[in-house]
Amino acid sequence: MNIMVKSKEELLQQLSDCVFEMDDENAADVAKDYIAAGYEALDGVLKGLVDGMNRAGQMYEEEEYFVTDLLVCSDAMYNGLDVLREHLPQETAEGAVNYKCVIGVVEGDTHDIGKNLVRIMLETAGFEMYDLGRDVPLQSFVEKAKDVDAQLICLSTLMTTTMPGMKEVVDILVKEGIRDKVKVMIGGGPLSQAYCNQINADGYAVNATGAVTVAKQLVGMA
Amino acid sequence: MHEQDQMTPNERLQAFMKGEKMDRILAMPILVSISHRVSGMTHREKRASALKQAQSQIDCYQRYGNDMMIIEYGLHGIGTALGSEMNDPEDSLPAIVNHVLHNLQDIDQLDFNKTKKENDPWFARTLEACEICQEKMGQEVPTGVLITGPFTAVSSIFPTEHLLRATRKDPASIHRLLRLCTDALKDIYKEYIERGIIILMCDPIASGTLLKKSQYVDFVKPYATELMNYIHQLGGMCCYHICGNTTSIVMEMVDTGPDMLSIDNLVDLEYVKEQVGKRLPILGNVPPVDVLMLGSRSDIFESVKTCILKGKDSPMGYIIASGCDITQNVPVENIDHMMEAVRKYGRYPIDEGLLNEPATNH
Repeated sequence: MNIMVKSKEELLQQLSDCVFEMDDENAADVAKDYIAAGYEALDGVLKGLVDGMNRAGQMYEEEEYFVTDLLVCSDAMYNGLDVLREHLPQETAEGAVNYKCVIGVVEGDTHDIGKNLVRIMLETAGFEMYDLGRDVPLQSFVEKAKDVDAQLICLSTLMTTTMPGMKEVVDILVKEGIRDKVKVMIGGGPLSQAYCNQINADGYAVNATGAVTVAKQLVGMA
Repeated sequence: MHEQDQMTPNERLQAFMKGEKMDRILAMPILVSISHRVSGMTHREKRASALKQAQSQIDCYQRYGNDMMIIEYGLHGIGTALGSEMNDPEDSLPAIVNHVLHNLQDIDQLDFNKTKKENDPWFARTLEACEICQEKMGQEVPTGVLITGPFTAVSSIFPTEHLLRATRKDPASIHRLLRLCTDALKDIYKEYIERGIIILMCDPIASGTLLKKSQYVDFVKPYATELMNYIHQLGGMCCYHICGNTTSIVMEMVDTGPDMLSIDNLVDLEYVKEQVGKRLPILGNVPPVDVLMLGSRSDIFESVKTCILKGKDSPMGYIIASGCDITQNVPVENIDHMMEAVRKYGRYPIDEGLLNEPATNH
């Protein structure tokens, strides 16, 4: 029997590499080894899986990785996360802020790859994500944001026909008197900073890694 | 013929192909998703009837004098024929809500006979629309069909996100699907070509925004090349368009052998001209959203002028077009502005002085 236990650093590196190298089939096994060795689950998430996803995001930024690569990296991350999750501490540290974000594709549109990538990258960056899916009724974004006390709403669309729905979400927030409590970030193929300004949204990002930078700025995350 | 033009679009295109004199630069704004607006009907009315599909294109031509009418087979036709479910919005382009294939093990259950014109009412209707266009306007203006390329056809059968993953996890199955779609597309293209229709092959899911170059080379290029060859065997003509940023694959796209290349506004026209301008005519790339939908009249003039400045000396010729399909949210008057600017800046002989002035005072 092999009783050699790998060091924590070694296993963290393996977790990170499973994600970064798109080894989605082994991520869960490495995560099990990590837990079996008695190391802390939270470190496994942050210094292992998330670290790998951040490296992948960096490669995406540099146009070395493409959409397919990010999708498979994220499959590996979630496979590992499924194992580590139940071992995470139940209570968050005293005084820690939970940044909450509601995300979805606006009503009338079903293209959701871009939205999924942004959800993955924001989750990796530490946001608590509430993904409403695609073709989401506009009012639902606001309802969910109120329910969970979210600081950020992210709206995505690939179609020009559904762009006006984004303005409507901003208008609903104004009407309900909570516009100053929630930031709105938009993204998607036909959009631009000019359109963001025109509808009084708070931020626009050109891709999934850009979305992380803008989202952090908007909510004041360090 | 438009009152401010001296040649019909057919005469102009003929002259363009032979390198002879034209009255003005060819202009092919992609007036597909906007056309029902020009006719004052809803999208659902248009898509339900061959006559209305044709009428909306004829109305566009009569108003704008654009150089090609375009009937829409679209991007989802193969998927819907096979059983992918679409929504049915009153006044917007339908989208797929449930793909026919969820598991690559089930490819054998797909019945591609369903994509034939006898079995697919949508396909039959668009063919009829083409016939009406040809019968009513064929002596004056060419008609094209906006139709899917091989990779986007697969995405109408199998969800795009799974398709992307499978290019890595199960490439053999994706090649099988591409093989089946390519064969089906050959039969479909043939029907249009026999009616004298130009093929506008659009493959947005093969975009550089989604795929890396090696994926384009492995999964798209061989099938696109085969289709181009087939189109030429039949005596047809193909304009190839991929949405989004195609800067890194522009050479590969041209290697497939299209007759013309249409580029998105995310790609620099000058770069494309330098890379492939010697090999084929280039169409592009007035931004359909930032300029045509959200811009002012003078933004549109400025954009048309910039495109003509960049494209006019392209060795094999330049055709001004929108960078992508023009949607129904674009004010119909903005296409008047675009064509007015084309007639101002694109009149032969080109007035270089005019092109170098700012496009003010409109």
